[in-house]
Amino acid sequence: MVGSPAPDKPVLFQDGKRLDGRALDELRPLKIVAGVLKEADGSAYVEWGGNKVICGVYGPRECIPKHDANPYKALMKCRYTMSPFASLEEHGRSGPNRRSTEISKVIREAFDTVVMTGEYPKTQIDIYVDVLQAEGGTRIAAIAAATVALANAGLPMTDMISGVAVGKADGQLVVDLGKSEDNFGESDMPIAFKHRSKEIVLMQMDGKLTAEELSANIDAAIEGAEKVYALQAEALRKSYNVSEQQEFRM
Amino acid sequence: MEKMILPGEIVWEREVNASGTYLHEGKTYATVMGMMREEKFIPLEMAYKPKAGDNVVGIVTEERRAGYSTDLNLPYNGMVPTRKVRIYLELGGMIYGKITFVDEVGNVDIGEVDKLPPGKIITVPPSKVPRIIGKKSSMLNQIREKSGCSIFVGNNGYIWIGTRGNVPLVLKTVRLIIDNAHTSGLTDVVAKYLEDNK
Amino acid sequence: MILMGEELRELVLQGIQREMLSNMLAQGKRLDEREKNDYRKVSVQKGVLTTAEGSALAQIGDSKVLCSVKFGEMTPFADRPTEGVFMVMAEFLPLASPVFEPGPPSPESIELARVVDRGIRSAEVIDTKSMFIEEGKVLAIFIDLYVMDHGGNLTDAAALAAAAALSDTKVPKVVDGKIVRGDYVGPLNIPDKPLTCTFIKVGDHLLLDPIREEERAAECQLTVGTVDGYVVCMQKSGAGSLKKSEVMECIDVALRKGNDLRDLI
Repeated sequence: MVGSPAPDKPVLFQDGKRLDGRALDELRPLKIVAGVLKEADGSAYVEWGGNKVICGVYGPRECIPKHDANPYKALMKCRYTMSPFASLEEHGRSGPNRRSTEISKVIREAFDTVVMTGEYPKTQIDIYVDVLQAEGGTRIAAIAAATVALANAGLPMTDMISGVAVGKADGQLVVDLGKSEDNFGESDMPIAFKHRSKEIVLMQMDGKLTAEELSANIDAAIEGAEKVYALQAEALRKSYNVSEQQEFRM
Repeated sequence: MEKMILPGEIVWEREVNASGTYLHEGKTYATVMGMMREEKFIPLEMAYKPKAGDNVVGIVTEERRAGYSTDLNLPYNGMVPTRKVRIYLELGGMIYGKITFVDEVGNVDIGEVDKLPPGKIITVPPSKVPRIIGKKSSMLNQIREKSGCSIFVGNNGYIWIGTRGNVPLVLKTVRLIIDNAHTSGLTDVVAKYLEDNK
Repeated sequence: MILMGEELRELVLQGIQREMLSNMLAQGKRLDEREKNDYRKVSVQKGVLTTAEGSALAQIGDSKVLCSVKFGEMTPFADRPTEGVFMVMAEFLPLASPVFEPGPPSPESIELARVVDRGIRSAEVIDTKSMFIEEGKVLAIFIDLYVMDHGGNLTDAAALAAAAALSDTKVPKVVDGKIVRGDYVGPLNIPDKPLTCTFIKVGDHLLLDPIREEERAAECQLTVGTVDGYVVCMQKSGAGSLKKSEVMECIDVALRKGNDLRDLI
């Protein structure tokens, strides 16, 4: 993340190109498929750079425990987890940890803003996101998947959510941070917007930036999120084309 | 000309009350995926909200003092009030009835209840039920006729199929309808399918 | 935390399905018109994860199981100080079915992991003796089964994913007692591919590869793990009982059908 550079920090920006050859505002390759799971009410699978994320949505369903139920609206619940094999390094532990608990919370809050929970009082809506493979920006990939899964489930939303991680690496403001930029850059900010109004529904920033740099970052993020939205829209449209429906492949 | 509309996208530049939409600052926006067909917005996928007048197929799960608690494939159970119904229902028994009342917190009362004999219950997305029934039950009737099966379709997404007749044909035809629900000319496609496969 | 609604519904549906299925079987038909010893559509995709040393996605009908094989370093067991270790863990993801809840592993998911483990261990396809690094340190192989969609018969999909993932696995280089990620010595040579064939019993009928609804209607279930020509593990689960003749019939089918599945890897 941020702090004093590690001894083996790679050069993140050189000759007008980033470490992986991308331009400053270029996204990594992004693929989204809607309706990949049979059992879930709605689902989506996202491959974003080296990230592979699967999302399944259930709801509205019975609220458990019953005493948590809200008489005016559905309770949004979100569970984001990383598989023990998601990182190239050590085999990790399965189950929630502090990081995944925080990410689950901010994702839930983002969707609480757009899902019309008032339509289904005393119920709950579950968003389950599992990161099968991680390469920086998993919560943003999770958001991209969850929006598509919710639309696939027919859960009413006032708007769709798209986001991107922006930051600064080797002095340059960049869009869609790759793993090394995430680990060794000067700032990292995943941010997600309601598509139509561009209002911010998720934002977590760390690093050290001036107000002008932050403002430029947010503008760049809005443009980046538009590109993500286009792919979310395409995924949803394709899910209705029976001839396009193929078997699930990773 | 058909156009697919996504949640949050504009449907009409003025305020219109339609299923699957919401009003905001003088305009109407989609809340779910839908298609614009001849000036009408047709939701393609919508989580079901029960309303009075809907026909439902249910499975009796519990006998309570107030009545029979019934599974309706919903997050909340339906209730068949005993004072309204003079038949005896068993646990696991299936019923076909009409929703008489839904309150603001989602409690559902069912009346005009018919007991269904043992049969198969399948679950379909409630948004596809109108297609399975068809205009004036035209689609449903041709499935009944060509399969020889007794079929009851609930708006709640439960379909009851009797044990006699070509049950696999019914299952495959329902699958065909669900996969092609948004296309036009479906009734003819299904008629041909039933003829070829009966 | 029990999902009262779902559990109750499952119990009620069980009764309905059993009667329905018995009626259809009496007419010689399964719910999806398969023959009693036919598998649904099976597909296997290897090398689906770049972060693991081996991986595969197996699909049987709508059931989908992802398997990851990763290497690590561990202290060996005290009684086998020069042998490597491997372990099989299964996670029934809550997104895979309305009846799966988040939380500690259920008895069903533990049973599945242990059955798949038993098949691999009995078939002796992983050469633990070649996994010694140095004193107090051996290679460990973590086999993770991630259930992503529950269409019935998760066991066979899981065993298939595991065998395919193992056949996809490359052994990483070990330098100065540490694993070098991304650098490989060569493929993990597995002499055979243990797979399972799972049957359910409904009345007098034995059906291979049950779908979800058939599982609900089943009195009990038998999983037979095989490699070519041998049975390597068996597990009876569920409350009912089996006759010896029924078990022998399943073994006979499993030895044949196991080879059909093996050809897909």
